[in-house]
Amino acid sequence: MKFSHPLATLVAPVLLLILLAAPSVLAFKDEEWRPIDPAHLALKTPVVEKDADAEVIFWEVRIDDGERGELEESHYVRVKIFTERGKELYSKIEIPFFNFTKIKDLAARTIKADGAIIELKKEDIFEQTKVQISGLKLKHKSFAVPGIEPGVIIEYRWREVVDGGGGGRFQLNFQREIPVQNVTYYVKPFSGIYGMRYMPFQVPDSVRFTKDKDGFHKISMSNVPAFREEPRMPPRNQVRPWILIYYSSNVSQSPASYWRNLGQRYHEFFKEWTKVNDDVRKAATQIMGDAATPEQKLDRLLEYCRTKIKNVSDDASGLTPEERKKVKDNKKPSDTLKRGVADGGEINMVFAALASAAGFETRLAFVGDRSDIFFDPSFANASFISPSVIAVRVGSQWRFYSPGYNYVPAGMLRWQQEGQQALLADETEPAWVKTPISAPQLSLEKRTAKLRLDEDGTLEGDVRIEYTGQFAIERKEYNDDESPAEREEILRKIVKNRMDTAEVTNIRVENVQDPAKPFVYEYHIRIPGYAQRTGKRVFLQPAFFHRGIPALFTQSQRQHSIYFHYPWSEEDEVTIELPAGYSLDSPDAPAPFRSEKVSDYKATIGISKDQRTLVYKRSFYFGDNEAILFPPNMYQPLRNYFDRVYKADNHTITLKQGAATAQAPAK
Amino acid sequence: MLYRSLLFCFLLIAAAAPALAVGDDAPDWLQQAAAAKPPAYDKDVPAVVLHQEQVVKLDSDGRLTTTTTYAVRILTREGRAYAEAVETYLTNAGKVKEIRAWLIRPNGEVKKYGKDQVIDRMCNPLDIYDECRAKLIDATLDADAGMIFGYQSSSEEQPLFSQERWVFQSRLPTLVSRYTLSLPSNWQASSITFNHPNVAPVVSGSTYTWELRNLPPIVPESASPVVTNLAPRLAVKYSPAEGSSAQARTRSFDNWVEVSRWATELHDPQAVPNEAIIAKTLQLTAGAKTELDKIRAVGRFVQELQYISIDVGVGRGNGFRPHSAAQAFAKLYGDCKDKANLMRTMLKTINITAYPVVIFSGDRTFVREEWASPTQFNHVIIAVKVSDETQAATVITHPKLGRLLIFDATDDNTPVGDLPDHEQGSLALLVAGDDGALMRMPITSPEANLLDRQSEVMMDADGAITVTVSDRAVGQKAADFRRVFRSLSRPEYTGMIETWVARGANGAKVSKVNPTDSHTEGRFVLDIEFTARNYAQLMQDKLLVFRPAIFGQMRTLSLTEAKRNHPIVLEAEAYKDTVRIKLPAGFVVDEMPDAMKLETSFGTFSATYEVKDGYLVFTRNLIQRTATIPVEDYAKVKNFYAGMRVAEQAPVVLVKK
Repeated sequence: MKFSHPLATLVAPVLLLILLAAPSVLAFKDEEWRPIDPAHLALKTPVVEKDADAEVIFWEVRIDDGERGELEESHYVRVKIFTERGKELYSKIEIPFFNFTKIKDLAARTIKADGAIIELKKEDIFEQTKVQISGLKLKHKSFAVPGIEPGVIIEYRWREVVDGGGGGRFQLNFQREIPVQNVTYYVKPFSGIYGMRYMPFQVPDSVRFTKDKDGFHKISMSNVPAFREEPRMPPRNQVRPWILIYYSSNVSQSPASYWRNLGQRYHEFFKEWTKVNDDVRKAATQIMGDAATPEQKLDRLLEYCRTKIKNVSDDASGLTPEERKKVKDNKKPSDTLKRGVADGGEINMVFAALASAAGFETRLAFVGDRSDIFFDPSFANASFISPSVIAVRVGSQWRFYSPGYNYVPAGMLRWQQEGQQALLADETEPAWVKTPISAPQLSLEKRTAKLRLDEDGTLEGDVRIEYTGQFAIERKEYNDDESPAEREEILRKIVKNRMDTAEVTNIRVENVQDPAKPFVYEYHIRIPGYAQRTGKRVFLQPAFFHRGIPALFTQSQRQHSIYFHYPWSEEDEVTIELPAGYSLDSPDAPAPFRSEKVSDYKATIGISKDQRTLVYKRSFYFGDNEAILFPPNMYQPLRNYFDRVYKADNHTITLKQGAATAQAPAK
Repeated sequence: MLYRSLLFCFLLIAAAAPALAVGDDAPDWLQQAAAAKPPAYDKDVPAVVLHQEQVVKLDSDGRLTTTTTYAVRILTREGRAYAEAVETYLTNAGKVKEIRAWLIRPNGEVKKYGKDQVIDRMCNPLDIYDECRAKLIDATLDADAGMIFGYQSSSEEQPLFSQERWVFQSRLPTLVSRYTLSLPSNWQASSITFNHPNVAPVVSGSTYTWELRNLPPIVPESASPVVTNLAPRLAVKYSPAEGSSAQARTRSFDNWVEVSRWATELHDPQAVPNEAIIAKTLQLTAGAKTELDKIRAVGRFVQELQYISIDVGVGRGNGFRPHSAAQAFAKLYGDCKDKANLMRTMLKTINITAYPVVIFSGDRTFVREEWASPTQFNHVIIAVKVSDETQAATVITHPKLGRLLIFDATDDNTPVGDLPDHEQGSLALLVAGDDGALMRMPITSPEANLLDRQSEVMMDADGAITVTVSDRAVGQKAADFRRVFRSLSRPEYTGMIETWVARGANGAKVSKVNPTDSHTEGRFVLDIEFTARNYAQLMQDKLLVFRPAIFGQMRTLSLTEAKRNHPIVLEAEAYKDTVRIKLPAGFVVDEMPDAMKLETSFGTFSATYEVKDGYLVFTRNLIQRTATIPVEDYAKVKNFYAGMRVAEQAPVVLVKK
């Protein structure tokens, strides 16, 4: 039985603890409440965060996996309440559990500031089934904390015993929604043939398991601030300190060796799943037709797989769950081609088979999910990556394809899979290759508006917006299982959210389920009071598409890195017919600006030859050179940059009654 | 615990997904309902109820058996949400004996849902203890536009009262809605119809049937009355023949005094002080000089107790009975009736009399005078008998009991002397034995709920501003500020204020956020300081253009639809905004908007601009009264708020001298 960190073989000292068999000690079971430190009772202000409403003094969890067929977790929590809000947060305690789990020895008490103690009575603990279906029950034990008020300490403890549990994966979280003075986990591994391993994330090097008594290993963190969400931050698993605990048959295996074994094993499966026969060869030849270059050939194969094979994994396929279940498995690629119906994985395989038949070298690629965690090959656990991408060699480069996901165009992956280390399965030497992050120009929001401005400030006209790349993938996915009426409603809400007086009619939403074409919105709009009139002037914001959009970053403090999911670009063209009797009064466009190698902003304002129509053009991109993740110390420069974008977008020009138009270049 | 909640989702899906029998026949009633041809509705209508019916049978032993049948045609993808059968019950007082459902596909295929697909859950999973449970069948994942979903259920209960309710429709259009009450012979029923002309029953022996057909959809609209005040609903009372032995087993009410007597019996025995309560009350009121001060001291203490609702034995009437004052005091928590009871008990110890008041929280127009029933209420507040010395906006007068100060001991954002806005003007029952009465709750004036915002602005020649804002809120406006302040941690609150400021002044750097909550006085003050570099836009190097209304809209009501179906409901509020802008050196006002004044029966609005001593002073004032405006006057309301918006958006132009 072993207990190890997978990096242990790479970095000294090795932490490989051979655990001696020891009788299991059921922590807390017979334990009395621990003495209260008078200093904690006297505490008037929080220790970890000055404005905290409540603070955990200690949170201890003992996980005893030592017994076969039973997992036991014991919790002991002590919390200091500082404010009314803290009182509300901790007034009710609920412990949810399934009917295959037992909650034992639940106890709680409140210690008043003067030391008086209010014990929770047994009859004040309620056990109820929250939800029950077909014999499965989610239950809870709950209680109201007696006598809770600011200044008190509350503490509670309980044991959970899971029959048939153990031997699985655990996630030990060190950061919670409130600050914690000390959090400690005690873990006793299962004494079977598999060894327990652990993998730390965002945990300081100094925080390590140490051997404790009775076969337990202990790990603690102190002064952990509360976890808070921030806009545009990396995923939780990328910023919170946590440890993954799992079992492995070979605890001394290095990550490199682990991945090599996995890649070799899966390549065998891959070869089987992508077997080329005459039907596949014939189909490949037919699909590629007169395509000349390797890229053209692959694009045609991809288009065929996305458009000619019904993807039953797609939630918008029109199939009910029942119908989906009835769809037979395709045993080989020729079955998929013949039936024309397959799930996403089978479509990936048929694409690989077709490419192989066309003479390309193909590989099954395992890729992580950037919306969950930024994968690192040192995470030697297969649950972090999935075999969802096909790699095809073109020249000296590997190109990545995701035909099993309909909306992903050639040359791209879903953003979650871009910029990730991909493991290419191989019979001899599996390799790591980084998937590229698609350039800003591939994810374009292209907006055009032809509008007319009335003398009273009402703006009216027609709008068209096209989305490509990641924008299109997201919008198609969001809209594809909605009805046409609901799609219209989604758009109406988007528009009214930024201009609440807008009247939106004649809405058309196009290409929602088309794998290749851009996602398109078209609509007619009328906005009373868009421009502001004074006695002799009208003030107009020509950046129509940015009216009412708030600044991107508004808060002064930043804790986490700033993270954009993908690079993007925007192209706007707005034409506005001016009201009769009015003309532009020395219109000036905001000056262009850029952030070297990352972003660029340009806006121009012109006037038609007849001086009646204003032409506003704007182009913007962000995230060039794969710059989508910025450390917290870049927050202020980024905020300043986007404030500048906001200012430029809110640039106002003046129309004057009867005045001659000046300076604006004719278009 | 994360892995556990994920595991639960997985297990729930897996458990709910066994292969379902396909090819069953739908029952006759569902096939008949499915054959109905509804009229064409607006494309936004997600579903149409083809048939909804309850047949309620009262046994001679007082047990009610209810059979519910329901059929809905799904018209759009959003209508899938209506493919769900839900029946609630109280543990120990009732049960759902059976619930079955069917889904008919457009090709006629029928899918049947039986007991293996029934989910049984707590009505409110967040409660510590809840005797209300629901059995449900969820077919939303299988359903789609064009399908028909139907269910039938049978349940039993021992009712507390001989009173029933029936709502003829939800927002969905409904082709047939029927309620049948079958009573033992010689029993009688009577009914009252709300939100619709009287619906008379068809009577056959002792069976009564009420029915409405072809009810149109109730379209959601902003500032509309709640659907319970739009959908036709029925209140039914039944009773045995005079002198019958069954009469003793039934509880029905002919008037509000009877309801008061019944409720008094539940409340009064619980309001017994013990020594600890007496001691605490004396301690709390030791420094109080006036009657009002004493009430405030006790009221504040009770409001600060944690709100926890634990009702054991709801089916036996315990949902209407508070825990004893001694229990609530010992645990320092309770629900609304516990808090009201504890407060009146504490006041009793200092010789101040108080009464419970039962009310409907959330809609001041819900309670109807013509139906004397405790089931119209969902909340308990308190009426404190006060002398002439106590003056407050929430004092009402009872013909016999005199002056009564109305107070909500549960809403800890609203102090003594004020009342939550959704309770103001509501009909509520004073629980005072024979003196009990349905009374109209007080309404405070718009000015008593004022937000007074004063801003001092220094503007530079490049358009940068340095701003000091002081928000002074009173009444329910202060309660709003307080509610937000208490719901967020301090960093979250500061972040929220920064975001709000940035919405008015982009790029603002906030240097001070100082909230001061004076709960007892019903005031909340928020002082903010910030700078914003680019507030005014410099044009042609000679003009500075800016909006003096830095913090946009006073009222977010946006009425853009050309047509209106329902009345417009407005709440009382008042807003006063004064912005004093020190003009940058070398600039004078070139243009500023005209003053504006709008006056209507439901509110007034004015905006003024004045240049004096190098300052531009902009003011705007809104007084909005509590009102329900008929749909015919929609244009007036729409124009009022549109006019307000123009003033809020209007720019001022400065020019370089």
